[in-house]
Amino acid sequence: MTPAEPPSGIGNGAVAIRVAGLQKNYAGVKAVRGIDFEVRKGEIFGLIGPDGAGKTTTFQILAGVMEATAGTATIFNMAAREARQETGYLTQTFSLYPDLTVAENIRYVGDLRLIPRAEIELRGNRYLTMFDMDRFTDRLAGRLSGGMKQKLALACALVAQPQVLLLDEPTTGVDPVSRREFWDTLAHLAIDGLTILVATPYLDEAERCHRVALMHEGTIHQTGTPSELRGSLGAKRLEVHTAALSEAEDVLSGHHDGILDVQRFGDRLDVIVREPVEGQRQVKLLLGAANIAIDSVRVDEPALENTFVATLRAIGREVKSPRYPGLHPHRDIMGQIAIGATNLTRHFGAFTAVQDVSVEVKYGEIYGLLGANGAGKTTTIKMLCGLIEPSTGRMELAGESGSLRSREVRQKLGYMSQKFSLYDDLTISENLNFFGGVYGLSSDEIETKKRWVLEFAGLEGKETALTGSLPGGWKQRVAFGASIMHEPSVLFLDEPTSGVDPLARRAFWRMINQLADMGTAILVTTHYLEEAEQCNRLGFMVAGSIVAEGTPGGVKRAQTGHLIETITTEPQRAADILRTDGERWRISLFGDRIHNVTDGDAETSMRETRATLAAAGIGVLEAREIPWSLEDVFIAVVEKAKREERLAAK
Amino acid sequence: MIAKLFGGRMAALLGKEFAQIGRDKRLRISLILPPTLQLLLFGFALNATVDNLRLGIVDFDHSRESRDLIAAMTQSGAFRSAGAFTSAETLGTGISQGKVDAGIVLPVNFSKDLHRGHQVGVQVLLNAMNANTAAIAQGYTQGVLGTWNQVMLKSGSLHARFTQIGAVPRDLRGIVTLHPAFIFNPGLVSSWFVVTGTFGLLLILNGSLVASAAMVKEREAGTVEQLLMTPAGTGEIIVAKIAPLFVLLCGMVLFATTLIKVVFQIPFRGNLVIVFLGAALCVLCGIAIGTFLATFTRTARQAQLMSFFVNPPLSSLSGALTPVEAMPHWMQPLTILNPIRHFGVITRAALLKGSSIDILWPNILALAAITLVLLSLSVWRFRKQLG
Repeated sequence: MTPAEPPSGIGNGAVAIRVAGLQKNYAGVKAVRGIDFEVRKGEIFGLIGPDGAGKTTTFQILAGVMEATAGTATIFNMAAREARQETGYLTQTFSLYPDLTVAENIRYVGDLRLIPRAEIELRGNRYLTMFDMDRFTDRLAGRLSGGMKQKLALACALVAQPQVLLLDEPTTGVDPVSRREFWDTLAHLAIDGLTILVATPYLDEAERCHRVALMHEGTIHQTGTPSELRGSLGAKRLEVHTAALSEAEDVLSGHHDGILDVQRFGDRLDVIVREPVEGQRQVKLLLGAANIAIDSVRVDEPALENTFVATLRAIGREVKSPRYPGLHPHRDIMGQIAIGATNLTRHFGAFTAVQDVSVEVKYGEIYGLLGANGAGKTTTIKMLCGLIEPSTGRMELAGESGSLRSREVRQKLGYMSQKFSLYDDLTISENLNFFGGVYGLSSDEIETKKRWVLEFAGLEGKETALTGSLPGGWKQRVAFGASIMHEPSVLFLDEPTSGVDPLARRAFWRMINQLADMGTAILVTTHYLEEAEQCNRLGFMVAGSIVAEGTPGGVKRAQTGHLIETITTEPQRAADILRTDGERWRISLFGDRIHNVTDGDAETSMRETRATLAAAGIGVLEAREIPWSLEDVFIAVVEKAKREERLAAK
Repeated sequence: MIAKLFGGRMAALLGKEFAQIGRDKRLRISLILPPTLQLLLFGFALNATVDNLRLGIVDFDHSRESRDLIAAMTQSGAFRSAGAFTSAETLGTGISQGKVDAGIVLPVNFSKDLHRGHQVGVQVLLNAMNANTAAIAQGYTQGVLGTWNQVMLKSGSLHARFTQIGAVPRDLRGIVTLHPAFIFNPGLVSSWFVVTGTFGLLLILNGSLVASAAMVKEREAGTVEQLLMTPAGTGEIIVAKIAPLFVLLCGMVLFATTLIKVVFQIPFRGNLVIVFLGAALCVLCGIAIGTFLATFTRTARQAQLMSFFVNPPLSSLSGALTPVEAMPHWMQPLTILNPIRHFGVITRAALLKGSSIDILWPNILALAAITLVLLSLSVWRFRKQLG
């Protein structure tokens, strides 16, 4: 089987989408430079790539809203334009009517397509039930959570019963719990025979596609199933646990044969080696020579990200991470407490947004705050950085416990808010001058830092461009650079890397690690669990409280249950049956595989699953225990906390 | 001190605001286009002319001079003769019954007193049921009398002077006394009245619109938190936001002043410094109102909608386009709180009459007080929101 073929068992062989030699030029810009791919009926096909890869252009051509410059794009052998009746297209911004209810939104879409009312009702109910949203038919669309809006938009697209679904980055800004539900839904639909083409910049989502294509600058570089892509690297991943991460990273990053890549995470290094046994020996030798103690080494398959990074490197794309010109390191205070919050509670009227939260972050430490939307992350970070006062509780920040809003404290703080930390109507240079000036840097220092930011962002020579004209990923990097120009000793990063491609994200984290090594205390919030692995310590927030805390490895080890992966002959029916037995969240569909979280013994659980499915006439092809991912941990923690809360409420 | 103020942080804040304003095309346009349009449109279109008012006449003198004055009144086209009445009382009844719109009573010794060089009082009766018409008719009468007076003086044959015009019988409802405001607009150029009024209107309304849009911008874009995390104090942020707007709007003042002078040829009889002082206070007032509105809104669009509730009462209770005297009595005191009213008084007096600060200080003081209150209020709100 060549990598371009879909895996067996998916689809009936009919080609749903065929793209050949597709090109699109805008005024002088080659957005798509001749791409080819085929998507079979019933397949989930992922277009994976950073901003500006040409994903959206490809979608617009397939949706029939844009003409290609050259090449063909067909859907069921019809030109994309003629096939519009067969396609459902979800753009990045959903066109829902916030002032209409869920049911009214669906009815409106159906009426537009002249579908009889009874039929609209029938289909609408079917999808809302499938999406676990049937209780909310009378709720205004504007009042839904981000994840539910996503699902409603999907239901609206499905009412017309399209054969092909085009989803352009459908989960941007959606929290992990909702994202998982959304992908469960997609798996469900694909098994029903719907063909789904989905674009995403996130590699953990790519794992849930049947096949993916890595796209970069208008070209597809690799196509295949996630496991094929991982395998194509011809390498293994070593998880090296050691206390001296920074030193170990330096030692291993020097060019050594056999070590392809080194990536630093919160409590481990991932070392990509050609050959596991030889690689392990080499790592131990190198670290031993540098007197660095190794706690443990574990061999695993490389992640999709490793492949992606290797692919981009192979075509000469490397994001620079120039050394940060830090003139005033904070190493002397390393280990002291930078952020010390004790029992913070914040009420807004009768609503308690944050309840009894205690957080301690030391200088030189990276702390990650994770939580679903509405868990109180934003309120917490605002209290921690002094933007709002807690209703009760004690705060210590940068050595100050009295007035956190004093000028002296703020001079020591760095803050990068979600999306809006630069002025769009100023040039890059003006923005940097402003932030440098407002923190009272000398003009010499501003110049030095400015050069560094431009190099880090890869925008040398473009400093007179208007910031608003930059694509998201570049802007994020400039914003990050701007927020650390004054060398803060405490840095708050609120979702710093949303919309940033994997290579740039690595550059980001390399920089964050550099800052931490200089003694900066860093508090990060994120939606992306793969990113959370980079933190030294994590706190999981649910409903205003921190319900779990520890190192990434620690929170995984603290899980009492087991994670079982089952491959069956009828994944969807099997998932439905298993769901009726237990809590909904425990079962999720990853393509043709089912993940099941069980609290009991792994062997017993696998036996029970086989028996349950056998009774329904479903064969189990393979069942095995797999290591927890941080996302699985997160969802388990959130759901268990919610359950306890429900019990407490009773 | 100055170096400290303008070095470093403050320079960065100001530099940023100026750069943002410099790139805001809509803002620049709104400093040129609305002033031009409003001044031209209001000046030319809102010509508050009234003609063919029915004038009742009581002439006790029956002299050449009295007939001459009546002729001058009716020749202007504003009035036409609606017949002679026998007494002021019957004339008053005629007005009350709606038979005539206005009346003039010339006393027995009208011509004799004129020749002797005495001051002669002429009683003018107006129907204030239509307050606006009454006020305008009053202005016309005043103007005609003034012109006639000047003609008499120039010819040198008469030495008369009208300074006081007849008192009004108290028992007659709806009659107003004359006010000497129009004496200084002898050519009856109604546009002078409107244009000088529009000037103040412009400063406050346009100022508040520009300010609210600029103030809400930071919150709309979501950058305000980032700004609050910097060591910049709220005071510095507010000053950095207001100062560039002030400078820009002062530019608008110069532009509007030039327009007034060139297009409408309004005489600049008095001290321009007083006018500019008033204008600067008005600009600050406008900024204060805009800032205040901006603290209640999240987007520029909301801020503009809010100004729809504030601007109409502000402009209609200003005396800028219609005389304050034309408003219901109970409403008139309210205009004392309106900065546009005081600025209107200041410009009209300073430009048209050449009045000095000796006379205008109460208005300047009032304007300054209003500005101070509004500015403090808006800074307090803004600060509270930032804090």
